[in-house]
Amino acid sequence: MKFCNLLNHFDYIGDRMNEKELVRKAQSGDFDAFAKLVDANKERIYSLARKMTGNDQDAEDILQETLLRAIDKIDQFRGDASFGTWLYTITLNLARAQFAKKKQTDLQPLEDYLPGTFVNGGHHHEGSALFDWKDPHKLMESEQLRDIIDKSISELPYKYREAFVLRFVEELSVKEVARLIQQSEASTKSRIFRARLAMRDKLSKVFENEYGGKVS
Amino acid sequence: MAGKCPDYINDLSDYLDGGVSPELCAEIEAHLGECRECRIMVDTLRQTVTLCRAGAEEPLPQALENKLKSLLRQRWEKKFSK
Repeated sequence: MKFCNLLNHFDYIGDRMNEKELVRKAQSGDFDAFAKLVDANKERIYSLARKMTGNDQDAEDILQETLLRAIDKIDQFRGDASFGTWLYTITLNLARAQFAKKKQTDLQPLEDYLPGTFVNGGHHHEGSALFDWKDPHKLMESEQLRDIIDKSISELPYKYREAFVLRFVEELSVKEVARLIQQSEASTKSRIFRARLAMRDKLSKVFENEYGGKVS
Repeated sequence: MAGKCPDYINDLSDYLDGGVSPELCAEIEAHLGECRECRIMVDTLRQTVTLCRAGAEEPLPQALENKLKSLLRQRWEKKFSK
């Protein structure tokens, strides 16, 4: 193990030991210990809820409910996973329950997200059907870009949005995503890839509509 | 280059995650060198993730911070004063 990795490893062990101690204190009724655990995780949970719901109000409600449930069930937390992962699971269950009430459309078939060359074969080097984004940061303000991305994520059907956000925004492994969404790794992988294709397609259409003339 | 674009679609996900064998990786990259469509597809699929990842964590609005503090303390006191 490299020296810097070794230091990071010790930091990780130190954090987990510190977390265990905070959890132990919180479970004995120490609010300040619980507040420290919340402080370490609240922005991540809020961002996750914001991405899952697509709006501030629902994200606030879910964060609030997550933390209230964490208080109610703190004595049930056994420490098998990190406290953050436990909060994550509560957040995902709440978001899923909220969307389970709404009718969800599915994604289009895979081939709808692929240009004709991919579906029918062959190399068509002339008149490319695919729009080349180049660098979207050069074409629009970061805030505008963020709005477009958030809107596109929020338009994905929930089961794909969940897989996409956990894998690519939260940067969890496929195995971790599969565990959180309670699917097999193969099914999770397929869901993640379809979501990525659908997101690419959505962003491509927006960029082409808005900036096609400037880029091509 | 023997393969056509559809031959690589099933491997694209693994390729983007760095999960293909060195031989298949070399084959896909040779194809990308020849095929503009596939190159754009791979570039934009990569950018999709980069764009979504940037600035992922959002700070809590101050009003929410304040509301949470009092709400959590109230619930805490209710639970532990039993």
